[in-house]
Amino acid sequence: MSIRVQPDLRNELIKYGIGDWNACYHCGTCTAMCPLSEEGFLFPRKKIRLMQMGLKGPIESSVEPWLCYYCGDCTKTCPRDANPGELMMSLRRYLTSLYDWTGLSKKFYTSETWELGFILFFASLVVITFLFILPSFGIKFDTTLTAQGGVRVNSFAPIGIIEPFDWSMAFVVASLLISNIFRMYYKIIWKNSTTKVSLWVHIREFWLLIFNFAVQPKFSKCDDKKYWLSHWFLMSGYTIMFIVIVVFLKWFQTEEILPFYDPQRLLGYYATFGLLFGLGFAIIGRIIHKDIKFKFSHVSDWLFLAMLTGTVVTGILIHIFRINGMPMATYFSYIAHMAILVPMILIEVPFSKWSHLAYRPFAAYFHQLKKHAVPK
Amino acid sequence: MEEPRIGVYVCWCGTNISKMVDVEAVSQEVSKLPHVVLAKNYKYMCSDPGQELIIKDIKGHHLNRVVVAACSPRIHELTFRKACEKAGINPYLFEMANVREQDSWVHTDRSEATRKAIDLVIAAIRRVEFHEPLEKRSVSVDPATLIIGGGVSGMIAALEIGNAGKKVYLIEKTDRLGGHVAKFDLLFPHLSSSKQMMRPIIQRVENHPNIDVFLNTQITDVSGYIGNFTTTIQVNGNEPAKLTFGNIIAAVGLKPFDPSGITEYGYGKFPDVVTSIEFEEMLSKGKIFTKYGKEPRNVAIIHCVGSRNKNYHEYCSRTCCMVALKYVHQIRAALPSANIFEVYADMRAYGKGHEEFYALTTHKQIIFLMFDQQDGLPRIREADRNDDCNMIIEMDEKLSGLSIEVPVDMVILMVNMEAVDHVKEVVRAIGVSLCGNQFFIEKHPKLDPVATTTGGVYIVGTCQGPKDIPDSVAQAKAAAARILATIATGTCPVEVTTAFVNEKMCCGCQTCISVCPYTAISYNKEKKVSEVNEVLCKGCGTCGGTCPAGAITSKHFTDLQIISEIEGIMSMSYKGF
Repeated sequence: MSIRVQPDLRNELIKYGIGDWNACYHCGTCTAMCPLSEEGFLFPRKKIRLMQMGLKGPIESSVEPWLCYYCGDCTKTCPRDANPGELMMSLRRYLTSLYDWTGLSKKFYTSETWELGFILFFASLVVITFLFILPSFGIKFDTTLTAQGGVRVNSFAPIGIIEPFDWSMAFVVASLLISNIFRMYYKIIWKNSTTKVSLWVHIREFWLLIFNFAVQPKFSKCDDKKYWLSHWFLMSGYTIMFIVIVVFLKWFQTEEILPFYDPQRLLGYYATFGLLFGLGFAIIGRIIHKDIKFKFSHVSDWLFLAMLTGTVVTGILIHIFRINGMPMATYFSYIAHMAILVPMILIEVPFSKWSHLAYRPFAAYFHQLKKHAVPK
Repeated sequence: MEEPRIGVYVCWCGTNISKMVDVEAVSQEVSKLPHVVLAKNYKYMCSDPGQELIIKDIKGHHLNRVVVAACSPRIHELTFRKACEKAGINPYLFEMANVREQDSWVHTDRSEATRKAIDLVIAAIRRVEFHEPLEKRSVSVDPATLIIGGGVSGMIAALEIGNAGKKVYLIEKTDRLGGHVAKFDLLFPHLSSSKQMMRPIIQRVENHPNIDVFLNTQITDVSGYIGNFTTTIQVNGNEPAKLTFGNIIAAVGLKPFDPSGITEYGYGKFPDVVTSIEFEEMLSKGKIFTKYGKEPRNVAIIHCVGSRNKNYHEYCSRTCCMVALKYVHQIRAALPSANIFEVYADMRAYGKGHEEFYALTTHKQIIFLMFDQQDGLPRIREADRNDDCNMIIEMDEKLSGLSIEVPVDMVILMVNMEAVDHVKEVVRAIGVSLCGNQFFIEKHPKLDPVATTTGGVYIVGTCQGPKDIPDSVAQAKAAAARILATIATGTCPVEVTTAFVNEKMCCGCQTCISVCPYTAISYNKEKKVSEVNEVLCKGCGTCGGTCPAGAITSKHFTDLQIISEIEGIMSMSYKGF
């Protein structure tokens, strides 16, 4: 069956950061260089071809963009400066927007106004809640200190309010993400008219999902291991922080100043270190432009880094101000923290760059399913 | 005949020969033969001291025959003939034995190779005994030149010769000068205007005092030989004029391939499938539109139409890839939002500035789609009613491995360059040969690309093979330089080793006339015998081999010489050296 070429698709793809993709003349050096490309799942060249010809169907059902971890070796060796690495990155942005049924992802990726507007909207909601709504329910900016000289943070942001809010936010985000993952599954596995995958294979290979989420084994196969290492620190820090904030907030957000060696503080410090290490690596990389991986930055790349940094820095400030008995500083840091964190979670996780935390491990899982697919 | 006094010289060629052939044994063995006065070996016979050795021996030992056993006569026969001449003996009293290419380089057994060298040298010695002195001859050269074809190649050659103060007769079949190039709009890779380039050239040719231009004229018959050709042309329809000239340049150009026979492309069936020549005319008019007068939204350019395909022509037309890329710039300038597809088989960008032009063009937002001629050509069909395009190209896209459909409103076929229709008439008139693709054959594909095997006849431009303007101009100027050199000399040497007919033995069967590739033999009706024109004869020996009466002898290749050579090569084989 012939597929119709859609030359106009390039106009859409350009908004996702695709540069001068026509420079590629298909020598295949990029595919030959890539340590992750494999028989049956060849990239980047084949994917560049699909983009050049505007074949939306085959692009949509591709799992390969998620198998690329952007080490930049392809771009380094490209004889035509076609920048295959960034083309794969752009494809991931495009695929994220295709998986998303709300259409918001497309809006955020292709319009800065939409993205910034949403961020500001949620940020102001948070600020208004803390400054006006919560005080109207009798919650005050309590300036008295605890016996240890710490700030009474739980009186300003009661666990009873924050925890259900965390859970509900997690629920919304998870619902969106899971529904998009089902769409991803539909496009990559289900829709395929020539092959099928048995239920047993689905169950047998499921462990890959958790394994890939935890250690990104494919990423570690890239020739330059420093990206994998910094990413792992960032990811582990983020995961720990996410779990303690959503699941163990009661244990984590305490007024008591625990000793330095207490697991609560040690865990917090590790997570902060992991986040700062990963963020510092990425931010410095994107500023000095030395590594190919960080040479080309889409607006979404910078926004994500800026928001995560803002969250971490305000989190650190809360901690410092709280144990040093500076109530107002603590509270305003808390508001700022939430004003950055909430839009970040709501926008970045289901609709933008952060969504790769789900798409990547699922892609690794789907990749394995595709390998075990049999003709219908 | 005087007693033969033969000197034999065996060359070491450094170690090239001496490593595999015992040169000392060879010279000693052959020195025993009758008539051999001396036999020597030396490190490099072709060097100045080597040649001096021969000259000294000729003078000192009164040698009247020389044999050198060294490399191929193709390389150094002339060197040693000159040495003989210098020493005062006729250069044809010399023979060369090839003991390098035909012996030391191709064998691994030293004693066998030495034995073969001895056989070869003995053959040369036995042959040279019967060599006869031959005298060099030359003919005078008429300073006028006939140029057939008024395209860019012909005009450039005409100007080159005319500017040197020599007469040129420029014959053009059509009613205007300029050929195909004058019809083009822009030229690759600089996107310069063709008309701006061609107009001054045409004007200079038309107004040149030394160039006589004959439009609407065709050459039917040329007689004569190098330096002295004549023809009669019909000027202005019926006024016959006789022209005499010393040299001929054929610059008859090309014919664009007619794609009607390629059913896949539907040329002639779909009005918006046009050839590159027709598109060039459209560009010259300044507007790109479909048959409905609309601007096309999707334009596809199909490469290799009639080229590199066993069913049409196997050769590559060399210029179409770049012309197709040139169209991208022109279409993009006229229709900024159009989708442009380059449907190609291979991109060939070999020339100066071509790869850069290709790289530049790829940034013009076009889509390259590759097909493989072996898997079948792309196929054009009419679009369905609900498609927003005129036609659909169906193809197996090679770089993706997918079968795709391409929406198009206009298709440009990059047609191949073919030989002109009247090429056979030109061949008959000027006596040159054609290759399988009907292009003229050059004398040597690398070292003599503008001359032909017929003396005084040169070929330039696309009639020799598909090429672009710079290559055509280079050939035109090269041919002009060759011709001006012979005009400056005033004479040119002709072949010495020609054939001659023993009239007493000739039975007048005319078999020789039918086999002569140079039309050098004619039939004398009065004497009822064949006669060889020694100026036209190249000494190929075909007539001598064919003559049933044995009446034709080729000078320097007489029966006696050849049989003695064979006897010589056989003489040692039974001795068990």
